[in-house]
Amino acid sequence: MKTMEEVLRDWEAVIGLEIHCELTELETKMFCGCKLEFGAAPNTHTCPVCLGLPGALPVPNKAAIESIVLAGLATNCDIEKHTLFYRKGYMYPDMAKNFQTTQGPKAFAMRGWLDLDVDGKGAQERLDVRDLEVGARVQSATRTETGYTTHIGITRIHMEEDAGKMIHIGGGEGRIDGATHSLVDYNRAGTPLMELVTEPDLRTPEEARLFMQKLRQVYLSLGISDCSLEEGSMRADGNISLRRRGETELGTRTEMKNINSFKALHDALAYEICRQAEVLEGGGVVVQETRHWDPGAKHTITMRTKETADDYRMFPDPDLAPYDLSDEFIEGVRAKLPELPDQKAARFQRTWGLSAYDARHVIEHRDTAGFFEVAMAQAGADAETLAKPIANLIINDLAARRSADESFDLATCPFTPARAVELAGLRASDAISSKQEKEVLEAVFAEDKDPAVVVEERDMKQVSDAGAIEAVVDAVLAANPDKVAEYRGGKTGLLGFFVGQCMKEMAGQGNPKLINQLLAEKLSV
Amino acid sequence: MVGFDFKDLSAEAIRFGLAAKDFSARELAEAALERVASVDEQVNAFLQVTPDAALAAAEAVDAAVASGNLDTLGPLAGVPVAFKDNMNLLGTRTTCGSRMLETYKSAYTATCVQRILDAGGLPMGKLNMDEFAFGSSTETSAFGTTKNPWDLERVPGGSSGGSAAAVASGMVPITLGSDTGGSIRQPASFCGVVGVKPTYGLVSRYGVVAFGSSLDQVGPFARTVRDAALALNALVGHDPLDCTSQPCATDFTANLDEGVEGMRIGVVPEFMTAQGLEPEVGEAVLGAIEKLAALGAEIVEIELPNAAAAMSAYYVIGPCEAFSNLSRFDSVRYGYRDPGHADLGSQYEASRSAGFGPEARRRIMLGSYLLSAGVYDTYYYPAQQVRTLITDDYRMAFGECDCILAPTSPRTAFKFGEISDPTTMHLSDIFTISINIAGNGGMSMPLGLGSDSGLPVSAQLICPWFKDENMLRVAAALEREYGTAPIAPAFTDAVASCDTQSVSFGEASRNEVRHSFPDESAASTAETLADFGGPASLSGMEGE
Repeated sequence: MKTMEEVLRDWEAVIGLEIHCELTELETKMFCGCKLEFGAAPNTHTCPVCLGLPGALPVPNKAAIESIVLAGLATNCDIEKHTLFYRKGYMYPDMAKNFQTTQGPKAFAMRGWLDLDVDGKGAQERLDVRDLEVGARVQSATRTETGYTTHIGITRIHMEEDAGKMIHIGGGEGRIDGATHSLVDYNRAGTPLMELVTEPDLRTPEEARLFMQKLRQVYLSLGISDCSLEEGSMRADGNISLRRRGETELGTRTEMKNINSFKALHDALAYEICRQAEVLEGGGVVVQETRHWDPGAKHTITMRTKETADDYRMFPDPDLAPYDLSDEFIEGVRAKLPELPDQKAARFQRTWGLSAYDARHVIEHRDTAGFFEVAMAQAGADAETLAKPIANLIINDLAARRSADESFDLATCPFTPARAVELAGLRASDAISSKQEKEVLEAVFAEDKDPAVVVEERDMKQVSDAGAIEAVVDAVLAANPDKVAEYRGGKTGLLGFFVGQCMKEMAGQGNPKLINQLLAEKLSV
Repeated sequence: MVGFDFKDLSAEAIRFGLAAKDFSARELAEAALERVASVDEQVNAFLQVTPDAALAAAEAVDAAVASGNLDTLGPLAGVPVAFKDNMNLLGTRTTCGSRMLETYKSAYTATCVQRILDAGGLPMGKLNMDEFAFGSSTETSAFGTTKNPWDLERVPGGSSGGSAAAVASGMVPITLGSDTGGSIRQPASFCGVVGVKPTYGLVSRYGVVAFGSSLDQVGPFARTVRDAALALNALVGHDPLDCTSQPCATDFTANLDEGVEGMRIGVVPEFMTAQGLEPEVGEAVLGAIEKLAALGAEIVEIELPNAAAAMSAYYVIGPCEAFSNLSRFDSVRYGYRDPGHADLGSQYEASRSAGFGPEARRRIMLGSYLLSAGVYDTYYYPAQQVRTLITDDYRMAFGECDCILAPTSPRTAFKFGEISDPTTMHLSDIFTISINIAGNGGMSMPLGLGSDSGLPVSAQLICPWFKDENMLRVAAALEREYGTAPIAPAFTDAVASCDTQSVSFGEASRNEVRHSFPDESAASTAETLADFGGPASLSGMEGE
């Protein structure tokens, strides 16, 4: 198979997402009073309604409607005032009534959008934008200094109920193949679930990944869901098709359902791009089907072929009256909108002079954004000076820890905003080198001590005394006359050698900036 | 032995009797159980009798009476009540007349049932019905047919046939039924009792196994209008578990004695000339119109131009909703399961094929077809448009009148097996269906016996939305003219041990207006009591 980059030279990927998010922060289910709780003993949060017992009726959860309106407003959607709940029929034991209550042609939230900023390595996937000049546009993407910005349409966000959980026994790894029997846990049945559907505006797996990530940030800022990918409270279906570059017709798409990590979303789409290209270039046709992404084997396999569209026999739920949202209700919800991630990033740029890139990444997680704000408050007069170094600590060091350790919790770890200010201050005043900064950070995490204490205990203050450094520089130059001659003869690459020798002499505590400066002066004489 | 004739007691008489300590609630429960035991072998109205629940409820009532707290009890204290078998009562079987739910035990109690219990009613058991309420004769029940107490070779109507027959044979004074297209009114008419389908939203549907959610409504059967009104008082009001239920503060007994003078009664000429309307039914309804006019009501002709399309709309909307509502009966969690299937699909298919009877399967398949892609737009959507037109028709009509009077059923009770063609059977509901489509209240009021068949004939009264007191008021006026609905003659003397005292109730106070009923001994207890000056006169009826 070709690589994705090779494929994307000739083909354009068209990607749409359906992102489900459970409203985990609510007290009760969508249509009954059962408690929402992940991980409770099976079938302990059930009642006649969510068990689909004969005669039971649904009553909508008003708080859930508030949450979805909030989500709609936060994603620039129009709020539909007059909507209906529909019944979507399908026979399967995880849906006790054998129909899912969802919304019809009109959802509570319609016609929204989110803008994505794509940069770094991920921006390279967009071949048609990569080589543009800053400010130039192609489709809905605009080239920026660090990458590009692209505008992603949101078709709708509708309200529905989640199904129960099937547990298959006797087959391999809980799969239904080979299972002898299945168990159903209806605790999850009836959990309020928002489904967001995007327009087919996404062009690369990276854009898809970023969209889901950004949506998660938005939802988290609204406090409507824990958006836990591991626990399945947020999950995505990805639709993807290929077309020759320059064509406008859509190709046949495949769908991957229930993807529950950002990486899996990216990798599954990337694999599908390559697989579909191979099929198409081999003269074949892509079969419209649902495919399963196997993260272990790193490929997708056919789950279910769709010969014809499923017939869900949708019709308005006669047990639920049409929903009419008043202007008052909508404005009441609007008044509850918190600061959204984009607004927060803009404020960070404005207040502390962060670059757009830094601001975006600092606010990527709710806890890091809060951490940064507390640090800035504690930095007082030094806030503006320390903003960039602290942002770097967050974007580089803390992000690395987070990705290395799933259980990493910024709120309870030894590295507090106060310690960040202290560490960044030590570095900014050249009291320690950048290499020492890393070492101190490690020690703070390992020993739960203040940075200043670590520096003191390890006697690792950076030597910035020009006189002391000059003595070392002189000694190193005197000890290597042949290298000095070579340098002066044009081999300027030897500067690193001299710096290294000086640092060695100073046990790594010399100020590299001063060493560099003095060496350059003396060698140029 | 009980020294009172239980079968003749109305809810109101029971109240007086308890107050006067003429009998205890326990005696009432026992008398009702005895009555069911002796009568139901012939009628087959009960699918299940619940003596333990009845006696436990009676004990609570007696305890309250003993401690002088009768006033704290609800309006139905000590009144034996039975429920259509699509209503959940915790711990009882709720079969819906279907093999599918033959062994299903309710895990909770329906709001309407609970409200009857809260009002002091004694739960006597569950009543036969057409399978999942699909039918107009109770012949589609999987558990045998219920007989019309007026002629055991005839159907009681349906789908609430058990509920109507139980009242008509004097087994219980009040039963509950449900009405999706006429399922309370038509059997009430066939059995000659009062049957009320309230305005949609007046009574909670929570816990009543759904047929057509937008059409279903629960209501009472009784032999007197006042008993029906008392039951309605207990049933109505907002239920947080049914978001289509509405608040209601009306006392439905308040205006029963007001008469119809000055009321505008609407008559639909097209109904009176409808094809299939038997002459004896038409005559009786015209007779009722004359009586109301004579009592001072203003008779106005109204138009319901789209009512003729109601049947078509109903047989789209009803099956669509039924298809969806019945999809939960899948053999997985409860209900009939065909054994030995290795995969889900074949288990579904075999269990549903065997668990549902022919009429249920017919409606499920019809609904499944009507909702399928490409067909939906052709039928379901136009049916909803027709629904809007019919609803508007009634709204317009009620600008001109306070109550409409029409036939309930085009004919009197037919014989078992007489109608085997489903479409002809569906025509039984020709006058009732449009009321469910529009959501208005409707009730069937006995008008005596047909001049030709000698079987009960009825008028249907239809009210504006949430003005159900209007039709009860007109019904009460008709009741004064025609007399209270009697127990079917074959069952007036069915219990030898109980009939000795019944004569004292038989003194008819209005012989002249009760001529159409053959058995004048079946006068209303309530009226008799009024004539005798109230509860005190009952003291002479103390048992041994």
